[in-house]
Amino acid sequence: MFVQVCLYFYCKCLWRCLKFVVRKLTGRCELQRICYNIKPGASRTMKIETSLRGSKNKLLQTSVSVHPDAIEKTIDDIMELKKINPDINPQLGVSLQACLLQIVGYRNLVAEVEKLRREPYDSENPQHEEMLLKLWKCLKPDCPLEARISKQWCEIGFQGDDPKTDFRGMGLLGLYNLLYFAERDAAVAQQVLSDSLQPKYSYSFAIVGINITDLAYNLLVSGALKTHFYNVAPEAPTLSHFQQTFCYLMHEFHKFWIEEDPLDIMEFNRVREKFHKRILKQLQNPDMALCPHFAASESLINM
Amino acid sequence: MAAMGVNKAGLGPGLDAGPRHSGSRGMAGAAVKVLECGVCEDVFSLQGDKVPRLLLCGHTVCHDCLTRLPLHGRAVRCPFDRQVTELGDSGVWGLKKNFALLELLERLQNGPAGQCGTTEEAIGQSGESIIRCDEDEAHVASVYCTVCATHLCAECSQLTHSTKTLAKHRRVPLAEKPHEKTMCCQHQVHAIEFVCLEEDCQTSPLMCCVCKEYGKHQGHKHSVLEPEANQIRASILDMAHCIRTFTEEISDYSRKLVGIVQQIEGGEQIVEDGVGMAHTEHAPGTAENARSCVRAYFSDLHETLCRQEEMALSVVDAHVREKLIWLRQQQEDMTILLSQVSTACLHCEKTLQQDDCRVVLAKQEITRLLETLQKQQQQFTELADHIQLDASIPVTFTKDNRVHIGPKMEIRVVTLGLDGAGKTTILFKLKQDEFMQPIPTIGFNVETVEYKNLKFTIWDVGGKHKLRPLWKHYYLNTQAVVFVVDSSHRDRVSEAHSELAKLLTEKELRDALLLIFANKQDVAGALSVEEITEMLSLHKLCCGRSWYIQGCDAQSGMGLYEGLDWLSRQLVAAGVLDVA
Repeated sequence: MFVQVCLYFYCKCLWRCLKFVVRKLTGRCELQRICYNIKPGASRTMKIETSLRGSKNKLLQTSVSVHPDAIEKTIDDIMELKKINPDINPQLGVSLQACLLQIVGYRNLVAEVEKLRREPYDSENPQHEEMLLKLWKCLKPDCPLEARISKQWCEIGFQGDDPKTDFRGMGLLGLYNLLYFAERDAAVAQQVLSDSLQPKYSYSFAIVGINITDLAYNLLVSGALKTHFYNVAPEAPTLSHFQQTFCYLMHEFHKFWIEEDPLDIMEFNRVREKFHKRILKQLQNPDMALCPHFAASESLINM
Repeated sequence: MAAMGVNKAGLGPGLDAGPRHSGSRGMAGAAVKVLECGVCEDVFSLQGDKVPRLLLCGHTVCHDCLTRLPLHGRAVRCPFDRQVTELGDSGVWGLKKNFALLELLERLQNGPAGQCGTTEEAIGQSGESIIRCDEDEAHVASVYCTVCATHLCAECSQLTHSTKTLAKHRRVPLAEKPHEKTMCCQHQVHAIEFVCLEEDCQTSPLMCCVCKEYGKHQGHKHSVLEPEANQIRASILDMAHCIRTFTEEISDYSRKLVGIVQQIEGGEQIVEDGVGMAHTEHAPGTAENARSCVRAYFSDLHETLCRQEEMALSVVDAHVREKLIWLRQQQEDMTILLSQVSTACLHCEKTLQQDDCRVVLAKQEITRLLETLQKQQQQFTELADHIQLDASIPVTFTKDNRVHIGPKMEIRVVTLGLDGAGKTTILFKLKQDEFMQPIPTIGFNVETVEYKNLKFTIWDVGGKHKLRPLWKHYYLNTQAVVFVVDSSHRDRVSEAHSELAKLLTEKELRDALLLIFANKQDVAGALSVEEITEMLSLHKLCCGRSWYIQGCDAQSGMGLYEGLDWLSRQLVAAGVLDVA
């Protein structure tokens, strides 16, 4: 009880006093201190984000949710507010801008992903249909699809003869991810697919992909992926960053599944839960980046 | 008591029939009146309501009165001496008629015929009237003189035709007596010779030659009398033949009725055993068989119930024993704790009264004591926190009369169905009352849902093709199967049907309840519950098991709880659900 009261008191009042004292001593504001003392990446960006969110100044509070185009102006405003001379501290503006871009970009990415997830697969839409057929072509380049509705879909791990029904929970997001994986990382995708068809590890490639999409989506929405994105994306993280992550998770899960050597597919949820926990634990390390070990993502890695 | 006397007199009439009606016809008539039922005082008849029937005690009562007697179970009491007579299945109808009395009655009605010699019998039987001798009324005629046109007995014929002339008269036996020629009623001298064939004259078709030529039948079509009569005779013979066959049929039928009655009632049967000794044996009738069938069934039921009761009681006993043992243990523990605490208390008090040096010396000991005391207190509060002191023993019963102790009854349910039917959606709707678009289930989900005083453990197994062979791992100990069908997907119903058919052949699911959810009823153009029932041919497929189809919609949750309601009604004995 006593501890709780102290903590509350500290958060409400002491923290601000402490900040004030430190500021007077060092002559730098909190943002400056963070930018100078902490190396760039997730740890810096996340500190900045907490600081901005916790600020009692309206401008700082809203700065995490401004439009990307207004960021430069916001930075200028902050500098002015904090009475920092940009000529003396040229580095601060750049660092702050990068951090803010990441923070705002993450928010926008969540919105973008959510929008995609909510858009149901529509078999009337030629664009959707084209993507679905392309997925087949990428995964099974040597084997033509006989009909749009066919038992062949089961070969790449859909449940029935029309994949449409399997996209219900994840909407277009599932299809986007699967296609990205199959297209950009064809070799790995085909390897995973052919492994998944082996009776020993048999699981269904496509619906596992949709399940992993769900996992990635949950990680993104819960904010757990911030560590990864702030470390990986130099500025605002984009959809392709998310899809990269999906590819990585898919590949990792596949390895994890084989390591776990489950008795049959009925253990899927248990394995998936274990995998989820492991990823969460990894992401708690601020230096962690879910770095895909394959070619397609190398160019995107920061630093 | 007079009636009784009469009745007694009527008892053994067969023995002394002679003296009673050795009188004239009139006397016999009076005797008939005497044979009346002792209860209603109506005269007995040979058949119908007033037929005399024998009771076990020997009294005879008419059928009508017997039917009016009050029944004591399956027996009646004799109105004269209150002895009990058991009735068979056919009731009063099963009592034997008093045949001796009936015979007597018959004889009395044919009274005088009884006394006359041998000739009478033939005549009596053929039903013709007796022709007396024209010479002596006392004699019965046996011959007929064709010349004198007289009936004579053999004796008188000899006497009257003793003269030479008369002796020449042709006399024939009565049977061969020629028919007299009938005279026309209008022309007395002419015999009737013709028959008129006109429609109008059918009421009096006979005519003599005068009638024919000049009388009322003048110019009418006619034929000769004799062939016409012969023709009619022939037709009568035909009819008689018909009647005979008809009679045979009737008697055949009544024989059959008797046979069937016997089969129903059963009775004594003469059986020869191995050594050739004949002895009677009781052959049970179908009525008895049916009765024993019912008895066997219910005794079986009684036995099962007794067994189930014993089992349930033993379960309760075991529970009570365990609980009591545990409580006693706790009680003992508390006593020990109490004594420990009081010892410590005593020790403290003792230390208090000692001098300063000793108190200081005892400091360490006291602190140790306090520590253990604190520990014990902590343990006690922890214990008191998570045990509930509740004397109630809530009891529920399953449909198969097993007892369940505890506030909630647990039921294991497996949800199956094709992929995309909505199994997971239904599960989460029941669990969290929120609709979410799920991702395809790989493997299974398991959740517990509490409803009323039941706790459903629902296993939701993925519906993908490859997973279906794995469904069987979830069948064991499953009390109910929930099969989900997508009503909006017309072309997949047949696939669902074949999966369901496969499911129902599983041995482990033999006793499981089957609840079918016709999901997605909200989608426009969805199949109705009736259509689904038809398409899955449920009546045929689920013959002999308890099943139910419920239309539902996982999005709004419509129908889901109705389905659970049905399940709970099936699993829990009636009336227990309301016991909370």
